[in-house]
Amino acid sequence: MTDIIIPNLGNEISEAEITEWLVGAGEEVEEGEVVLLISTTKTALEIEAPVSGKISQINFSEGDLVQVGDVVGQIE
Amino acid sequence: MPKNIPIDPIKTFSKSVLKSSGIPVHQYQKSIQEELKIYGKENLIELLRHMYIVREFETMLNSFKTKGSYKNIEYIYNGPAHLSIGQEAAAVGSAFALKTEDKIFGSHRSHGEMIAKGLSAINSLSRNKINSIMETHHDGKLISYIHKNFNNTEFNDAEMFLLIGVLAEIFMRELGFNKGMGGSMHAFFTPFGAFPNNAIVGGSSGIAVGAALHAHLKQNKSICVANLGDGSTGCGLVWEAMNFAAMGQYKNLWPKPFNNNPPMLFCFMNNFYAMGGQTLGETMSWDRLSRIASGVNPEQLHAETVNGSDPLSVADAVIRKRKILLEGNGPALLDIECYRFSGHSTTDTNAYRSREEIKHWKSFDPIELYSQKLLDADIINKKNLDNIIEKVQNQIELLTSKVVDRELTPSIDIAKKPTIIGDFTFNKEVNRISKTADDLLMDINQVNQIKNMKKKSRYGKTSDGSLLSGMRAITLRDSLAEAIIYHLSNDKSLIAYGEECRDWGGAFGVYRGFADIIPMNRLFNAPISEAAIVSTAIGYAISGGRAIIELMYSDFIGRAGDEIFNQLAKWQAMSAGELRLPIVLRASIGSKYGAQHSQDWSSLLTHIPGLSIVYPATPYDAKGLIATSLKSNDPTIFFESQRLYDKVEVFNEKGVPEEYYTIPIGKAVKRKKGRDITILTIGASLYPALDASEELINYKIDAEVIDARSLVPFDYDMLISSVNLTGRLLIVSEAVERGSFSNTIATNISRFAFNNLKAPAIVIGAPNWIAPGADMEKTYSPQSDDILDSVFRDFFPEKRVNKKGLRKDWNFLELAKKGF
Ligand SMILES: Cc1ncc(C[n+]2csc(CCOP(=O)(O)OP(=O)(O)O)c2C)c(N)n1
Repeated sequence: MTDIIIPNLGNEISEAEITEWLVGAGEEVEEGEVVLLISTTKTALEIEAPVSGKISQINFSEGDLVQVGDVVGQIE
Repeated sequence: MPKNIPIDPIKTFSKSVLKSSGIPVHQYQKSIQEELKIYGKENLIELLRHMYIVREFETMLNSFKTKGSYKNIEYIYNGPAHLSIGQEAAAVGSAFALKTEDKIFGSHRSHGEMIAKGLSAINSLSRNKINSIMETHHDGKLISYIHKNFNNTEFNDAEMFLLIGVLAEIFMRELGFNKGMGGSMHAFFTPFGAFPNNAIVGGSSGIAVGAALHAHLKQNKSICVANLGDGSTGCGLVWEAMNFAAMGQYKNLWPKPFNNNPPMLFCFMNNFYAMGGQTLGETMSWDRLSRIASGVNPEQLHAETVNGSDPLSVADAVIRKRKILLEGNGPALLDIECYRFSGHSTTDTNAYRSREEIKHWKSFDPIELYSQKLLDADIINKKNLDNIIEKVQNQIELLTSKVVDRELTPSIDIAKKPTIIGDFTFNKEVNRISKTADDLLMDINQVNQIKNMKKKSRYGKTSDGSLLSGMRAITLRDSLAEAIIYHLSNDKSLIAYGEECRDWGGAFGVYRGFADIIPMNRLFNAPISEAAIVSTAIGYAISGGRAIIELMYSDFIGRAGDEIFNQLAKWQAMSAGELRLPIVLRASIGSKYGAQHSQDWSSLLTHIPGLSIVYPATPYDAKGLIATSLKSNDPTIFFESQRLYDKVEVFNEKGVPEEYYTIPIGKAVKRKKGRDITILTIGASLYPALDASEELINYKIDAEVIDARSLVPFDYDMLISSVNLTGRLLIVSEAVERGSFSNTIATNISRFAFNNLKAPAIVIGAPNWIAPGADMEKTYSPQSDDILDSVFRDFFPEKRVNKKGLRKDWNFLELAKKGF
């Protein structure tokens, strides 16, 4: 089981909004595939799957605010 | 980082050899008969006359400097005289090839270039146009002086206008083109296409590129020329400017019809010496100056070395380069080899060159050579030549005799108008923006980033008083974006650039989404050339445009030091208010990146007269103040704190208005009312000061907190009336204490409110050493505890409160003695 984590977003930025999940629970993903779009007060970012596998869990939905380090999903 | 120019590793690593084509050196071969066909007899003779005028003009200056007299005129001239005796063919040949609307920018040694450009303009402008130029310049004062004093002379009044305008400027008289505020090294007269000369070696290079950018965006079919010395090839700005004019993006990425390079000519008046250092063979690495062009772009800037002792060779080259530039294929470089017989200045003893060398070059005197050429070809006869020479001498003698006369041609009476130079410094004009730009790529309201802002709360607190996240309420970053995009989309003369400003949206995201709205020719990524970023903005602005530029970190101000300190800050005053520099320079004050990325340099810039300086701390103020800055016709430095970009509005209960509004520069704002002590904050220090003021309530100390917002001008009225009430002043900022603007305010308040002060004003800033890394940063910028400690120690010692801050046990006197 591998976590999808909100990475460090740069200087003076601690939170982000979930803009869009590009995959749903149960879907297969490749390592490096963009699975999630987030935006901060400063910019928009693409989050990639850290490993290949199946999305087993999604913890936040679109529009939610998340903090740096939050586990937003998991891959099995 | 445009995605449409991929960097392919296979191509990158494939084996090849970079080739450069040759650079022509002295290839000019036209005979005088061919030239006669091109120019006609009259023009060829006129060229000679212009060279004589320049020579005689400078001979006159030289004579005053060295002997205190010229002919029978006695005069002590105290200013500089960097003469170009020997270089006349370069100045006149080039001016001959240029059109009036082409702009030249010069150096400390540019009297000749400016006079030549003026003479050439006078020959090509219609009489009506010349009249209107002369009548409108300084309300016609100079032309009426000429008609009064020279009415019955044989000399053309426009020529007298030009020569007297220059000479009076050199002699610092009010009738000078810039009312004597520029002087010898800074003279100019824009209606004839002679733009500012510059006493900073290389200083004109970037300014001229900015002007070329303006000509390019206006598509007005003229070119810009930087006349530079060979010594300036050692200056960083010159290289930055060459690259800026040659950047790949114009052709690769800019939209039609702007997908060409700006029409920029780098003209090196190569006299082989830079004061006493010899460029060729000693201080520079090149064997021929023109070689530097092969380091700039594949076209090698179309560089050529040409013979600067022959005006026709120079004119020929400038005409050919001009054509290339107007076809959009610039920039170009000319290495015009010539020799100055005069010393660098009149105190030069020629310690660095031999008599033999000077003598040898005398046989290449451009005026002698060209006169002989015209005589040999029967284009002029000896008698006519002597006539020309005599007439020129009479002309210069006559006008000089009047200009030296201090009664007839006085300087501005500073004793009578003691603050007049201050009046020239700021014009305080406000620009009106009215219509939507017609070049927008997309409706603003369709752009995601803008749409997202529209969803946010305008106020930073919920109805129950809790603070909203920057994701949910308008932040300082958003409020800046709103005002800037308003201006960019309503004012086509405004351009925005800086490093990573386009696709990235600026390093701190203020411009995110803008790339979808503003075409690339008005919003682009600049090279990492801070000096050229500022310098080109100046050239763009003095040509009639407006610019908002970004320096990313204020720590990088050093890289643009001259351009901010000596150019941006000074040209309005040096032109006696003639030039306008509507430029907003955004610089952020950093955090977390250590000593070279965390300095508040607002104080540093307040030390330089000539810049408006603002530093807002709230979203409401940021939006209103950036709007005012963008409307202002004065150069404005706009500081932003990276720590504050995500701040939401908590002071103005109506939040940040969605509509456009302005806040006057020079007005402070009271954040909290109090009776016992005034705490003045600059920029981000507002927040720890407010925390401290809350804490002080527990000790029955009622602090008044004032947020400066503007540093230049500064709102002394509000501060004085506050201090008159509280009797105590503490000033908090993140700038290092020593030599800070806070200290200036403290000193002024000690004078202006002395009678009401109960204690000396105290300044808290950053300590006089480097900013440490992120984890130690709180030891550097003043924290709430540091403020509390100072309040108790310096103002209310009777309260006997335990001190908590890091500086609580510092012996400030001992530190100061040690250099801290
Ligand atoms: C930035 C700067 N450094 C030094 C000087 C002092 N200075 C004035 S002219 C000059 C030599 C410039 O040589 P060059 O560019 O070849 O022009 P030239 O004097 O030969 O016309 C120097 C060193 C200056 N004005 N500006």
